[in-house]
Amino acid sequence: MSDATHLTGDLTVAGACEHEARLKYYSASQWTLIWWRFRRHRAAMVAAALLGVMALAGIFAEFVAPYGPVTRDTQYIEGAPQIPKFCDAAGCSFVPFINGTKTERDPVTLRAISVPDPEVRHYVQFYVKGEMVKLLGFIPIDRHLIGLRPESGQKIHFWGTDDLGRDVFSRTIYATRTSLSIGVLGVLISFVLALIIGGAAGYLGGMTDNVIQRATEVIRVVPIIPLYMGLAAAMPKEWSTTQVYFAMTLILGLFGWPTLARRIRSQLLSIRNEDYVIAARLAGARPGRIIAQHMLPGFTSFIIVDLVISFPYMILSETALSFVGLGLRPPSVSWGVLLQQAQSVRAIEQTPWLFIPAVFVVVAVLAFTVIGDGLRDAADPYAEAS
Amino acid sequence: MLRFTLERFAGMVVTMLLVSVMVFLIMEIPPGDYADRYAFRKYSGTGVNVTEADIEAIRRDLGLDQPMLLRYFDWIGGIVLRGDFGQAFAFETSVAKVIGDKVWLTAGILFATLLLTYLVSIPVGIYAAVRRGSAVDYGLTVFSYLGLALPNFLLALVMLYFANRWFGADIGGLFSDQYRDAPWSLAKAWDMAKHLWLSAVVLAWSAVAYQIQTVRATMSDELNKLSVTAARARGVPELKLLVKYPARLAINPVVSTIGFDVNRIFSELPIVAVVLGLTELGELLLKAYLDLDMNVAGAILLLLTFAIVFMNFLSDLLLGWLDPRIKLGV
Amino acid sequence: MSKMLSVENLSISFRTDEGVITPVKGVSFTVEKGRTLGLVGESGSGKSISTKALMQLLPGTARLGAASRMIYTAKDGQQISLGNLRHGSKELRRIRGGEIGMIFQEPMASFSPVYTIGNQMMEAIMLHRGLKKREARQFAIGMLNKVGISNAAARVDQYPHELSGGMRQRAMIALTLSAGPALLIADEPTTALDVTIQAQVLDLMRDLQRELGMGMIFITHDLGVIAQIADDVAVMYLGTIVERGPAKEVIRNPQHPYTQGLLDAIPSLDHLHDRLKPVPGDIPSPTARPGGCPFHTRCTQAIAGTCEVHEPPETSAIPGCAVRCWLHTSQGRSAA
Repeated sequence: MSDATHLTGDLTVAGACEHEARLKYYSASQWTLIWWRFRRHRAAMVAAALLGVMALAGIFAEFVAPYGPVTRDTQYIEGAPQIPKFCDAAGCSFVPFINGTKTERDPVTLRAISVPDPEVRHYVQFYVKGEMVKLLGFIPIDRHLIGLRPESGQKIHFWGTDDLGRDVFSRTIYATRTSLSIGVLGVLISFVLALIIGGAAGYLGGMTDNVIQRATEVIRVVPIIPLYMGLAAAMPKEWSTTQVYFAMTLILGLFGWPTLARRIRSQLLSIRNEDYVIAARLAGARPGRIIAQHMLPGFTSFIIVDLVISFPYMILSETALSFVGLGLRPPSVSWGVLLQQAQSVRAIEQTPWLFIPAVFVVVAVLAFTVIGDGLRDAADPYAEAS
Repeated sequence: MLRFTLERFAGMVVTMLLVSVMVFLIMEIPPGDYADRYAFRKYSGTGVNVTEADIEAIRRDLGLDQPMLLRYFDWIGGIVLRGDFGQAFAFETSVAKVIGDKVWLTAGILFATLLLTYLVSIPVGIYAAVRRGSAVDYGLTVFSYLGLALPNFLLALVMLYFANRWFGADIGGLFSDQYRDAPWSLAKAWDMAKHLWLSAVVLAWSAVAYQIQTVRATMSDELNKLSVTAARARGVPELKLLVKYPARLAINPVVSTIGFDVNRIFSELPIVAVVLGLTELGELLLKAYLDLDMNVAGAILLLLTFAIVFMNFLSDLLLGWLDPRIKLGV
Repeated sequence: MSKMLSVENLSISFRTDEGVITPVKGVSFTVEKGRTLGLVGESGSGKSISTKALMQLLPGTARLGAASRMIYTAKDGQQISLGNLRHGSKELRRIRGGEIGMIFQEPMASFSPVYTIGNQMMEAIMLHRGLKKREARQFAIGMLNKVGISNAAARVDQYPHELSGGMRQRAMIALTLSAGPALLIADEPTTALDVTIQAQVLDLMRDLQRELGMGMIFITHDLGVIAQIADDVAVMYLGTIVERGPAKEVIRNPQHPYTQGLLDAIPSLDHLHDRLKPVPGDIPSPTARPGGCPFHTRCTQAIAGTCEVHEPPETSAIPGCAVRCWLHTSQGRSAA
């Protein structure tokens, strides 16, 4: 719209456009306005894009990851990241490649170690044939986003391998799916609980409110990770990875609600005696309907902000629990499970690439925080309108 | 003031009671009970055939066949009246013995961390608010984002790595080898102090990031208050003005969140302890959870939470003393 | 009578995200010893900002115009250029409080809530009168007595929230006067108070001013208050003084359409059945200051082709009075 204003030098046309733009602005819905304001928050847009890429990679992990999360490459154990290059001693090529490796005996320890073999080049390809996997769990494909030609007989490990020769890049992609989805489910569960608990406290008030406030206070006062640990420790050892996964989301969700419940309660309390709420009550609407139809819409945007900024706590908690062995267990892969392999200073010195999942944790948490800030600014109706 | 104190004290006792119920429930969650685990641990691999009747006998011995409510009162009664937290089966001794002076080590870490947190965050937060929009201010904003985003165990690893490089290998843990089992002495305390700072820095990290933002926000608000302009219009020198008027009030939200900080520190403690090799309650708690030694775990969880509730109580009192408006509200 | 403060050509601009705004433009006024100047205008007219500039209380984004002059004659007869005082200098601190005192609209917010009244008074007294702590406390109690606070010896140890609104403003007056200023700036000191309390506080201020022989600048949006307290008046609109002169003269015979509008807007007990006549229109935002005469957008007598184009000069038809309006110039009259 504003572009048109600049292009046409004609004042009257510009005036009309201006008028139309204003009209559009004044008639825009609350959500359109929030979106407009959010779009101008550059950091938040970048964060949203990053998260989007992460989520997509996680959802289509089978396709994006060149190998399975537990596929071992015995030829390349604790190997360093292999970065595709365009040139080597033998000259340059338009297609990026990596040099091959060959196994030799260490002259001192006589252990088999892999050393680079500059004679051989393996070219990196997109949409390459590889392991047969089920995309989204049910679409069988044997193509992967990136990798080496199967004829090469070698695998490429962009981010190196761990002590069992598993590809860190592939594992991180699969872990992204687990960790983000646990965050989503955990937040959803705590949201539902917060709605019920905060809704009851705020709508009913009085004695119910008092009791709920007391209970909330007790939960808030217990240090959260030790509390989570206690519940996680109780998971039977014989549970399957799926059972553990859902138990974890339940545990995280079960105690994530107090902050949000508090927000919902205080907002509801502040408007429960407004005329339009009383009118709805007098008209005989049921409490659930009054809350959902008349009371919640007024502060949905705040709830969304709170939801977004509660993601980091979920992700960090899951990571911490898995890190100390009380959360997800191998063979599941999550960021925390992967970082379990990187618990010592020795790991920093010898296999620093095992810390790459930590970068994902930091980026995801930062992204959610920045998006939360951006949304908060965007949702603020008092933010200056222009 | 007396009435205020008594009311807060009563509130603290009620909260502690409810917390104890919750901790007790958590102790009850794992499948099986103390008798099962005790028997399994003691006799597995010894060739002794343990029958259901044997376990039942242990159960009766320890009063575990009683209804839950009775067992709760037995448990909490023992703690309150005799300081008896029950038996720690993994250690074959009483929980109280296992916990022992780890309580004091934990308290030491806690206070070192709190001290560091406030010594850094309050002046820095005030400075950032006064120099709003400066490079320092922006740098601090980035820092505080990182403070939330960096998992504490990762920070611990990185710190440990650099500490090892710069200060020699013997920096993890709480003591050097020669003092680990030595009786308390001045030399041992000094040795602990030399090790303590690393844990304190790691544990204070996110609390500092958070509190700087709190202080900065409150200070920015307070700086724009009319009372500050009015005092300036009376010719109060600028530095004295800053300290006496806005800074004095910017401390209140910090005081009111002491309990929250303690909570955060205790929450991170078990995780950080793994990396730094600390030998205090957090590490013991994790071990107890992994062994399902719920008597020990429950005792520690209870102690940590009681400490938080107590700190909340203290912070309420302190706030009541700092802010004359609060007493009136009671 | 001697001039104690003379302000000439005061312009103040602020850097903002939307560019530079100039809420005060070419303001000149004088205050004489023992007399009260009333500054009248709607909110946003720049009256508070102008007085804050005297004590360098404006935020860092504010800039004074190059031609601005603010000359203050101190108690010892020294002439001080207020705009040139260095930030944080001893001289500036002496001016603040010791020479010029300021009272604000919100008595509650003017006190810090965490110190007693006495604490804040003693701070000012020790600073400006060089008294020791004990003497300062006695002095503070004496001041509280003087402003009509009963049981001052007990009140001195109370916190601001323990006093009523009117009491608080009295305490604020005591606090400001305890530093011994020669010029008192009162920024809408009665606006936040109940009407009956308002009258008491106004009386108190007038009495104290006479007793102490202070000069006073009284800021208000209420011409009725001006009639009670001011000797001279300056009417401000959008950062310029549109009319000034002796209070009685201006109120009896307003020249500028804006002053006339303000006077018409005062409800009168004689004509209870009439509708109130507010000044039409809204005060424009400081970012969109109209060109020409700033008031032309709301003026019922605006002369098309003149008022919105050129800024009117200041003219003086009645001795001692001045007005900025095209209606009072020969050109304007001929154009109309």
